[in-house]
Amino acid sequence: MDFVFSQLAGFGDAFADLVLDPLTYLYLVTSVFLGITFGALPGLTATLAVTILTGFFGNKIPLDYSLIALLGAYVGAIYGGSYPSIVLNIPGTAASAATAMDGHPLAKAGRGGEALGLTTTASFIGTLIGTVALLIFVWVLLLISKNIASPEKALLALFGILLSGTLMSSDLVVKGWIAGLIGLAMAMVGLDPLLSEPRYTFGWSYMLSGFQVVPVLMGAFAVPQVIEGLRRAEIGKMAQLNDRIVPNLAAVRRYLPTITRSGVIGTGVGALPGVGEDVAGWVSYGVGKSVSREGKKFGKGSLEGLLSAETANNACIGGALIPLLVLGIPGSPPAAALMGALKINNVIPGPTIDPAIILRVVAILVLASFTMFLMGLFTARVFIRILRIPQTLFLPVVMVLTTIGSFSVGGGINDLYLMLGVGFVAYFMNMLAFPIAPLVIGVILGGLFDETFRRSLFLADGDLSVFASRPGAAILLALNVALILSQIPVVKRTFGRLRGRTA
Amino acid sequence: MKILLGTVTGAAMLIAGAGSMALAQEYPYRDITTAVVWGAGGGTDTINRMIMAEMEKHLPVSINVINQTGGVAGSNGMVYAMNQADDGYTLVGLSESNVTAAVQGGWDKKFDTWYPFIVGGSPDLISVPANSPYGTLEDLVDAAKADPGSIPAAASGAGSIHHLNLLAIEKGAGAQFKFVPYQGSAPGQEAAIAGEVALVVTSLAEQAPLIEGGQLKPLAMLTPESAEIAGMTVPSAFDIYDGLDAYLPLKQAIGFAVHNSASDEVKAKLTEAFDAAMAGDAVAEWAKVNNYDIGGQSGEEAQALFSTLESNFAYTLQELGVATVDPASLGIEKP
Repeated sequence: MDFVFSQLAGFGDAFADLVLDPLTYLYLVTSVFLGITFGALPGLTATLAVTILTGFFGNKIPLDYSLIALLGAYVGAIYGGSYPSIVLNIPGTAASAATAMDGHPLAKAGRGGEALGLTTTASFIGTLIGTVALLIFVWVLLLISKNIASPEKALLALFGILLSGTLMSSDLVVKGWIAGLIGLAMAMVGLDPLLSEPRYTFGWSYMLSGFQVVPVLMGAFAVPQVIEGLRRAEIGKMAQLNDRIVPNLAAVRRYLPTITRSGVIGTGVGALPGVGEDVAGWVSYGVGKSVSREGKKFGKGSLEGLLSAETANNACIGGALIPLLVLGIPGSPPAAALMGALKINNVIPGPTIDPAIILRVVAILVLASFTMFLMGLFTARVFIRILRIPQTLFLPVVMVLTTIGSFSVGGGINDLYLMLGVGFVAYFMNMLAFPIAPLVIGVILGGLFDETFRRSLFLADGDLSVFASRPGAAILLALNVALILSQIPVVKRTFGRLRGRTA
Repeated sequence: MKILLGTVTGAAMLIAGAGSMALAQEYPYRDITTAVVWGAGGGTDTINRMIMAEMEKHLPVSINVINQTGGVAGSNGMVYAMNQADDGYTLVGLSESNVTAAVQGGWDKKFDTWYPFIVGGSPDLISVPANSPYGTLEDLVDAAKADPGSIPAAASGAGSIHHLNLLAIEKGAGAQFKFVPYQGSAPGQEAAIAGEVALVVTSLAEQAPLIEGGQLKPLAMLTPESAEIAGMTVPSAFDIYDGLDAYLPLKQAIGFAVHNSASDEVKAKLTEAFDAAMAGDAVAEWAKVNNYDIGGQSGEEAQALFSTLESNFAYTLQELGVATVDPASLGIEKP
């Protein structure tokens, strides 16, 4: 308990220092705005925002201020990704892919303003939950994340792929799994992560580095939208919308348990090294769907589904900073960029870090989430007006932006061909009612699964029991098996009968 | 968004205009871009951002650092930089591991296509988890000799500098470990802490926070010198096993490079700024805090160093069977 009080007192001091310094606001407002802009532009990621700012500020201004800029951009970008997810059904960053599942149906129903207002609140509360965890539960979370080895990571990645397949299918669950497996197969292309053997490259050097996530993401979500618009151009048609952005307090109060649960899940996922905001959103969405009484409405415009995803990806920020600051191991890709910024300033993240820096980071995160909240209510109002622009004008702009986004990653023309190829395949998959999101999740998590699964077997000399002998692995394996069994008709019927008998 | 795009276009036009006006001026008259071939937050990225900020102070222009990652052994970034004009406005941030790009089929050039500048590197050491049963290097080697190939060891990816160091200590001490590849040093160290592997070979800079925090126990430096860290003296493996000097030390060389075909004026200007930056207190302070040894070699001296590393890496990879291109066909001589 003493630890908690001393942390709180330290936080109070750091927060006061920050609030009383007028320069803070200059950096904070600019960087949060920049972050939101990056997040909102499809294909420009939070990692990119933090990396660019590291180059811009790096060691040119004192660390205290560059930390404000970097964390502000990080928080803003993860939140900003929700705009295009809701308004356009194109996730601004991989982190907000799950947000689109319920956000866009809401926007289509004319409730876009309400959805944006709620995500703003959810992101705000989520960031705060992650931050509190960073301040108080830092040691507990560390203990868990330190014991996560290859078998657990492999099973977690598999769980993510299966889960998104299960959740996203509109008719047959197996269609979602098929899409997930296609994504997994795409992730196998390139140099294998263990022994550097080229796989499925057909002697083409571009294929050696594998398929990049961002072009696949852009192709899968944006291109089908544009093709759809080309086929049914309704000139001059505008979406119905309700401009009320101010969050509906009654709804926030009603969904408080959901928000809290998602915040805790997001923080926990963030604390795992190498697993970031994108996974956090999906896991929380999945848990929400199975726990909630509204579960059946998920994917059709459920406020609860929206909140599950959007709270978790922002809560992930605080979680991801825990292993970074305490062990020197970044918990997510943007946190890795942040690590570079610290090192340039001669601050080595890890057990030897000055505790005052952790307190300052916490104080900055709290202030950044307030800034994001206030600014979000304003920027969301501007962004929602995009829905008023006729499609014939707007879709070409979307196409240009996604092209820029895909190109920004590797800077090669082949990434654009990849984007278009995935886009056409995705369009036909949509027509056949195959969900596209599991394919993208397969590409994102497939690399992690491939590497950790094979390494587990390599270490165990091919003995499959490694996936059951460790306690963490056994629990995750049971979850995976339960998820598959629960969707098999025979098992479903048996369980239904059992439940009928006990009732 | 439209406003943002407009601003960007406007800024681009301004820069282009300023460039053409100043065409007659001497190098450098416009901003320089350094493309780092490894990801943000890594050693090469950090070093380049640090040294470029220092060099800016001795140049009339700014230097922008970007990351061009991917490919084989950083080949994407090297191809990108090589495709830019050799006017000294595009530099490439690289490390010793890039010398394997050619033999692994990433591109078809020898490393002497670059004119390198070496900022420094951090010495490698062998460490075990804090709760490991092995207290000294001899304990570990004896255990490995008793049951060859059973003790799992992490040392970054196959063919990395750390892997070569692990191979060298195996040969020198006559032990055999079970090499488990990881994509980078951090995941390997993480695996050691989680108890997935019994030992890890990475650099002192990468391990320092974990050693000081009591997560890893250092056994031996893979350099002729011992090292002081966290109030302990880490002995040199050279004092424990004779004949290690036949294989070691193999040290990191991190820095940047310009096209070897660049003009003498460009090379001279860059060398001048580089030397001035390396002599400054900021670099010394940075190296001390981050556990790096300062290099400072440039031009032919650095080329000779990279050429030794290149042949060493190339033939080791060929022996391991992971080289897809015969080093001899590229004109790389045997070490």
